[in-house]
Amino acid sequence: MRGSSAPTETVVIAVKTAKTTHRNTIFVEAARVLAHDAYAGDQYILRVHAPRCAQHATPGSFAHLQCDPQLPMRRPLSIMRTSGSDGWVEFLYRAVGTGTRLLAQRKVGDDISLLGPIGRHFEPDQTRSRPLLIGGGVGIPPMVFLAEWLHRHQPHKQPLVLMGSETPFPFTPQRSAIDVGGVPAEASTAMPLLEQWRIASRLASQQKFAGCYQGYVTQLAAHWLDALTPPQRKDVEIFACGPHPMLAATAKLAQRYGIACQVSLEEFMACAVGGCAGCVVPVNTPAGPAMKRVCVDGPVFDATSVFF
Amino acid sequence: MSDDVSDLLAVEFCGMRLATPLVLLSGCVGFGEEYTRVDGFSNRDVGAVCLKGTTLAPRLGNPPHRVYETPLGMLNAIGLQNPGARHVVDEILPKLDFAETRFIANVSGSTVEEYEEVTRIFDDSPIDAIEINISCPNVKEGGVAFGNDPDMSARVVAACRKITDKPLITKLSPNQTDIAENARRCIEAGTDAFAVINTLMGMAVDIESRTPFIGNNQGGLSGPAIKPIALLKVHQVYQVCRTHDIPIIGQGGILTAHDALEFIIAGASTVGIGTALFYDPLVCPKINAGIADYLRRHRLANVQQLVGSLVLHEATKKVCV
Repeated sequence: MRGSSAPTETVVIAVKTAKTTHRNTIFVEAARVLAHDAYAGDQYILRVHAPRCAQHATPGSFAHLQCDPQLPMRRPLSIMRTSGSDGWVEFLYRAVGTGTRLLAQRKVGDDISLLGPIGRHFEPDQTRSRPLLIGGGVGIPPMVFLAEWLHRHQPHKQPLVLMGSETPFPFTPQRSAIDVGGVPAEASTAMPLLEQWRIASRLASQQKFAGCYQGYVTQLAAHWLDALTPPQRKDVEIFACGPHPMLAATAKLAQRYGIACQVSLEEFMACAVGGCAGCVVPVNTPAGPAMKRVCVDGPVFDATSVFF
Repeated sequence: MSDDVSDLLAVEFCGMRLATPLVLLSGCVGFGEEYTRVDGFSNRDVGAVCLKGTTLAPRLGNPPHRVYETPLGMLNAIGLQNPGARHVVDEILPKLDFAETRFIANVSGSTVEEYEEVTRIFDDSPIDAIEINISCPNVKEGGVAFGNDPDMSARVVAACRKITDKPLITKLSPNQTDIAENARRCIEAGTDAFAVINTLMGMAVDIESRTPFIGNNQGGLSGPAIKPIALLKVHQVYQVCRTHDIPIIGQGGILTAHDALEFIIAGASTVGIGTALFYDPLVCPKINAGIADYLRRHRLANVQQLVGSLVLHEATKKVCV
């Protein structure tokens, strides 16, 4: 996928030898905070000026942020949106530990050291016209990024974005004007941004949020898949990011329906450039079991390689 | 780097000319190419790069989580994940650009024979030097189990010495009673240099699940938290090394030129950079520039003039002697 990649990137890659194509693909930028807004449940949306990251990021890639100069480890955050032309990158995160709590204190005008973009992105199959995007909690950002990319680059497709959260969503859900077959009537609201792009979305939560499906996001996905005809289901592929149990349930769902599924993983991370092997996950490969680095071998993996 | 700075920073280390006294540490930079992903990073900014610890057979390493942040430091327990020495020599070394810097293999094993075998494989390769890792705290056999026993340390060094004429650097563990005694034994066994220190063993506990955060339960602590310990160990090992002209790679929590200079003054000929890269992948040229500034300010022509220049207080001298 070459979503927002600029022509210059193609030129740069073309003149490199095969031996060094990986070189100079991750940028260090002093990212100026443009906006930093708090939402319920310790959630924050952070927008920073980081033009090189913005230009080269693709859906699924992430950035490694220095939450505070005193912290030995940066924190990996999925990219939610970018503007190559305006040079900004946007993240959604939850303040859950030392690093993200310090990050939450950074103000508009502050500079945050940013390393990015990093990682393998989602790879939509050109021939499958019904991408199903499933995001859970702070796994929502890459789904928004992928939805925007599909909106711009593969507008002929009919993506459905399903989001689950146990804290209020970091946006005001609005009643959807886009029909989605198969989902229970209670799931009537959507993410406004996606509505603007004419991309269908629905929300799920165990909490009793109005307009949301009450249950797991993967149960909501099962409702939609059940209502499709077998030929329609052949057009589906799943992209997911969220807590491990949600990804495991998504992988099972994909297996049950025989649908291709890509998942984005997270792990504690030190270098984020493939040097320390600190962020590995066990993965099955044709050559047998392996430990793959989430940073540069992922964060996107084929679900079958991780869960079966 | 300008000629002026090159002259200030160039170091002779085990017969090798290193462009600067900085050495990227084993386990932090994969097999030498990983950090070149970062725009602005160059292996030319360092004197040498130590490759990831390598064993005879491939190893998958430890289960997640492998890293965890602690106050001014971090724990790691990677468990020597590597594709095996043969693969490293046949598939990885040919892709490295030896014009950029010196590359040092890091040899690990569970038995003396494995250390020998891995050393033999690297001996027949373009690698510039070999670091003997007898201090990895994250494997069940070998590693620190050898490094904490001066007899075993010396046996491993002697065995590798018989096999190679390449420079041998012994990486010492801080997790032992008398690091200086171990150093003495390793010099007798034929080491050409030391790396001081490897990580300190530590633990962090998740109080909700009541389990260690690290999948291996314990890990090696690195970062500024260990700097004072590392500095003292370098000072202690230097007392043994100075009469034998054995150089030291001082390492442990170096983030800045100031930190690097402390190690050099305490007796390190070169300084290892590891966790600092996680703070700032572009830290090396900044440390080089800071060292060069200091040398100019003190009217020193080359960094080697500073090695071991520590002047102890009289009272402390008595305690040490």
